[in-house]
Amino acid sequence: MDVDFPREIHDAIGDGAIMENGMKLVLLLAQVMTLVSALVVVLHPNILYATIFLLFSFLGVAVMFVFAGADFLAGAQVIVYVGGVTILVLFAIMLTQWLYEAKLKTTLMKGLIPFIVVMGALGPILIKETLKLSDSVSATPPEKMGEFAALAKTQLIGQALLGNYLLPFEAITILLLGALVGAVWLARPE
Amino acid sequence: MGSHSAAFAHSLQGWTAGLPILGATPLWIWAFLSALLVIFLLALPFGGIATYVERKVAADIQDRIGPNRVGPIGLLQFFADAVKMLAKEDFIPRGADKFLYNLAPVLVVVGACGAFAVLPLAKALVGADLNIGIFYLVAVTTLIAPGMLLGSWGSQNKWSLLGGLRGAAQIVSYEIPVALSILPVVLISGTLQIGSIVEQQGWVWQGEMMKNYHFWNMFHNPFTMFSVFILFVGGLAETNRIPFDLPEAESELVSGFNTEFSGMRFGLYALGEFCDVFVMSAMVTALYLGGWQVPFLNLENMWVTLPSGLIAIIHFSMFMAKTLFVVFIVMWLRWTLPRLRVDQLMGFCWKGLMPIAFFNVIGTALWMWIFHGKSMMQLVMGQ
Amino acid sequence: MNILDWATSLQAYLVVGTCLFLLGVFAVLSRRNTIGILLGIELILNAAGINFVAFSKFRAAAIDGQVFTLFVILIAAAEAAVALAVILRFYRLKETINADEANILRN
Repeated sequence: MDVDFPREIHDAIGDGAIMENGMKLVLLLAQVMTLVSALVVVLHPNILYATIFLLFSFLGVAVMFVFAGADFLAGAQVIVYVGGVTILVLFAIMLTQWLYEAKLKTTLMKGLIPFIVVMGALGPILIKETLKLSDSVSATPPEKMGEFAALAKTQLIGQALLGNYLLPFEAITILLLGALVGAVWLARPE
Repeated sequence: MGSHSAAFAHSLQGWTAGLPILGATPLWIWAFLSALLVIFLLALPFGGIATYVERKVAADIQDRIGPNRVGPIGLLQFFADAVKMLAKEDFIPRGADKFLYNLAPVLVVVGACGAFAVLPLAKALVGADLNIGIFYLVAVTTLIAPGMLLGSWGSQNKWSLLGGLRGAAQIVSYEIPVALSILPVVLISGTLQIGSIVEQQGWVWQGEMMKNYHFWNMFHNPFTMFSVFILFVGGLAETNRIPFDLPEAESELVSGFNTEFSGMRFGLYALGEFCDVFVMSAMVTALYLGGWQVPFLNLENMWVTLPSGLIAIIHFSMFMAKTLFVVFIVMWLRWTLPRLRVDQLMGFCWKGLMPIAFFNVIGTALWMWIFHGKSMMQLVMGQ
Repeated sequence: MNILDWATSLQAYLVVGTCLFLLGVFAVLSRRNTIGILLGIELILNAAGINFVAFSKFRAAAIDGQVFTLFVILIAAAEAAVALAVILRFYRLKETINADEANILRN
């Protein structure tokens, strides 16, 4: 098989071709779920529902991360987005709407120009370029992919954060501290 | 590692190979079934029996008898409760948001049951020993917070909404001290894999001479002794148990976030809560109390050779004994302590637990640096 | 190439990323609700993360892409916190979170 799942998935599914197809089906479903949920996020008139489907979209992306050998990132994605961002957004919605009138509609007319921009110009160009790019990218040799799948990635990420990427890592910590203080200051009671 | 459930699925397929329909069933169906089996054999009975034990413990503490009608000493009470919940009318309040109302209990149960996959019940008995195990556990249990929030909003009841908002705020806040008290263990073990963390907490014997005096992480250094308590207290708050049961404070909010839920949906909420308590206790056990390790013994390397089945059973009972002891403490606290106020709750988290948790992380890091990763036990024994 | 094999290819990851990006842009442009705009931005950041992870596996076979995705996730968290604080502030000021009402500087 030319596909390299992360080691745990490989261990769990054994060698059966049917199992392998089953796992691919899971990935396909995750991709479909990501896109369909994102579509609901964009189009649903009720902002609360949009947020809930954003949650499902995040979960789909997390599954995609697992299949790309980024299990640590999948965990971080779920913790930060599902446990953090979604809860924050839900809180903001519940604090800023009248209790039982959570509907804020996107007026369709206002959506028309963005629709033309996205579907008429941006979309076709980007999709075309993406397809061209993914065809032109030379595939990694299978043995290198196998090596990558076998790496202990959590450790490598840790080493990278304290090695090559020390400066951005420290910058991020300062940014987070600043964001924390700033958010508390902005949302302080009168 | 990590292939035990797959091995189980393989053997299931092996056993049924000769049978007419079952023999042709592909492996992935068996894998799916074995995962379901784990949930039904472990999560559901635990949730049920926990309700019985909880009522018995409560009765004992209050000098009552407790459930004693259904079955011998009331043992089948949980079964009767389950039948009652299943048989109740499937009721949805008229003003409720049906989608949210149905979705919320599912999120809560998925969050609580999903964590069972990585619990190391014994050395050879773990659903999937992921190499990000403890990280996965923290991640999957975060699904509970949106579940509570959405259910409370969806039931269109102000008591529910207050309970749900309190619950989500509480879970999000207490996640931080909990994560910070997991970190010392990760520093000590150098891995996120729960199986490996547990394995490193055992004594290693080699022949007559004891080679390695590793012991429970709780006794690794002075700081971990504190962080185990922070993990426990934070876990109490995350599972909404007294003294942190503000989301369902029955004296002020009727029944809090699950006020409008009845029948099987309420059952799912209750199941999720009990599973969550079990998962939290199992986490404390696996990270700090040695998991399935038998104190001072290494069953696989002794003067007598034990059969592997017996070892697995002893490991499993050890793990369950420790975990259920922690669960018992949780129930004990419930009938002992009064409930906190909201401001006390948040103040306790941010001003009390957080600084201590940070101190523990830094202290453990310094300890690892100064003593080259040796535990107190090793230092005393002169290693 | 059947669709199951396609799902595990680089192209599938990139297409999903691009579609997420487009949907995000559409949300940012069409929503008048500030929280809706924030949701769109989160979609865009997720699309970036998918691309990083995909190239990290299929092209480089190295860890750097994942580190960048980690940074993206952290920045998204910080951004959401600040944005929601701003939205709450704005709500106190104007009793609405409609982006069209944020026009004090114009007058």
